Amino acid sequence: MTRPLRAECALELKTLVRQPGFWVPTVLFPAMLYAFFGAQSAGDWAANAMAAFAVYAVLGVGFFQFGVSVAQDRESPFANWQQTLPGHAGNQWIARVLASLVFVTVAVALVVALAFVLGRVEVGAAALVRLAFVCLIASFTATFMGIALGSLASARAAVPLANLIFLPLAYLGGLWVPPMALPSAVNAVSQWTPTRAMGELGWAAIAGTRWDPGYLAVLLGWTVISVAVVVVAHARHRRHE
Amino acid sequence: MPQARFNDPVRALGLAKRFGTVRAVSRIDLNVAPGEALGLLGPNGAGKSTTLSMLTGLRAPDAGEILIFGHRAGSPQARALTGATPQLVGFPDQLSPREILGYAAARYRVRARIDKLAACFGLERIVDRRVAGFSGGEMRRLALALAFVGEPRLVFLDEPTTGLDGAAQEGFQEVARDFVAKGGSLVLTSHHWDEIEAVCDSITLVDRGETVLEGRIGDIRKRASVSRLTFSLPPETVPPEWMQAVHDGARWHSECADSDKTLRRMVHEALPFHGLTVAPLDLKDVINRIRREETGP
Ligand SMILES: Nc1ncnc2c1ncn2[C@@H]1O[C@H](COP(=O)(O)OP(=O)(O)OP(=O)(O)O)[C@@H](O)[C@H]1O
Ligand SMILES: [Mg+2]
Repeated sequence: MTRPLRAECALELKTLVRQPGFWVPTVLFPAMLYAFFGAQSAGDWAANAMAAFAVYAVLGVGFFQFGVSVAQDRESPFANWQQTLPGHAGNQWIARVLASLVFVTVAVALVVALAFVLGRVEVGAAALVRLAFVCLIASFTATFMGIALGSLASARAAVPLANLIFLPLAYLGGLWVPPMALPSAVNAVSQWTPTRAMGELGWAAIAGTRWDPGYLAVLLGWTVISVAVVVVAHARHRRHE
Repeated sequence: MPQARFNDPVRALGLAKRFGTVRAVSRIDLNVAPGEALGLLGPNGAGKSTTLSMLTGLRAPDAGEILIFGHRAGSPQARALTGATPQLVGFPDQLSPREILGYAAARYRVRARIDKLAACFGLERIVDRRVAGFSGGEMRRLALALAFVGEPRLVFLDEPTTGLDGAAQEGFQEVARDFVAKGGSLVLTSHHWDEIEAVCDSITLVDRGETVLEGRIGDIRKRASVSRLTFSLPPETVPPEWMQAVHDGARWHSECADSDKTLRRMVHEALPFHGLTVAPLDLKDVINRIRREETGP
């Protein structure tokens, strides 16, 4: 790792770790919500609830870390000044992705640890590895969705807007309430949400079943839409600068 | 003026930038030689900050050309050689000056001389404190230190001393003069004429996006080598018409090209003045006079 990249990582991690407003909702809430609502799930759904809250954690980091930092990039004098420094802007993005992986890992590990302790979930190592892989894929989509959100929202609006999208998506996707318990109208919408797709992949990982290409396509679709939003928003900001 | 060279620290020609319908900059030329400090002066909204944002590569000009040491503005080579401080300051609340300075040093790949910088800019007491809650002046000191942390050969400063106390302003002027004496180049915007005179060799005056006056401060002074006579008169006495003196409520002031001649005539006409002082005109008044003469009635 080069010195500028190390410095970039240290800056990103320090800023986020010293900001409870960031890590409480993203790292602690998934585990807490799991303890409240997921750990009671019995039988088949017990392990699935763990996977659902793991996915929920992944999406939170993407939304809150990238959504907010991208929105701030446009407005903060510090971010503006950083652009006058030597070196590649790419390092900043590498540092953000690495930091997000750290937070995702901690958040997911907390959910899994609670599931083992509180929920008495028993899944094998292979299932956990598959779940970790799903989390990685979900991170990819979540990151682009976060960047899209940050490209549209002002720095002030980014957090409330992230909540406004993130929480309904979690419910719609069947991450809090199992999909079979969703009203049928909601379930129809649910099929198209990225959260449902992430959840389904997570549940397949636990069960060791085949991934449904339909849900992979949904994730890909949301990623493409997010990238398109970023490109359009970027062009608009450039014209207005 | 010496011939401008291709790889001079700053060569900018015919810069223009508009924001929607606002023409922020319409025709600005700048040249800065090695070891030269240039003061960018002008009223609010004249286009100074916009010009600096183009020189640092943050904004692309709509027209014109910029070369920084012969490199495109904002190119990796140009950024490695320049340091800058923004007009607006704001730092991540969670970090300390030491951490931010260390970060910047790493990006420039230079050794972080943080304690030395902290001493130069009066940051010793706050260097390990988190930025959250810093006063405006403390933020400004950090911003100044950041412009110099990368050992640049060219520094852009946008109103560097706004909100600084007297000691910090003097400290800054010392650092700036030292930097220039060692061959560094400086572009400085300011509304403080005394600061410009203390630090800069030349000035560029901009108004409504255009360069209206430029040159070395010494040459400008020669163009209008005018003195100001200040004196008191007994009540009910007024100076003769030819002096074109103005009263400020307490004393009389008169500007003249040849103070010796004026003084002799005042004595010859037995004007009962007392408490007379003769001083060169302030740079600000010199420039106002030149511009009045140029635009003419
Ligand atoms: N991002 C922007 N969008 C729209 N107009 C802008 C923008 N930035 C600057 N302007 C306008 O461009 C003009 C020049 O602004 P600039 O900030 O360069 O002035 P300045 O000389 O630095 O003034 P000051 O002495 O107040 O700092 C102003 O009329 C300003 O309102
Ligand atoms: Mg300005």
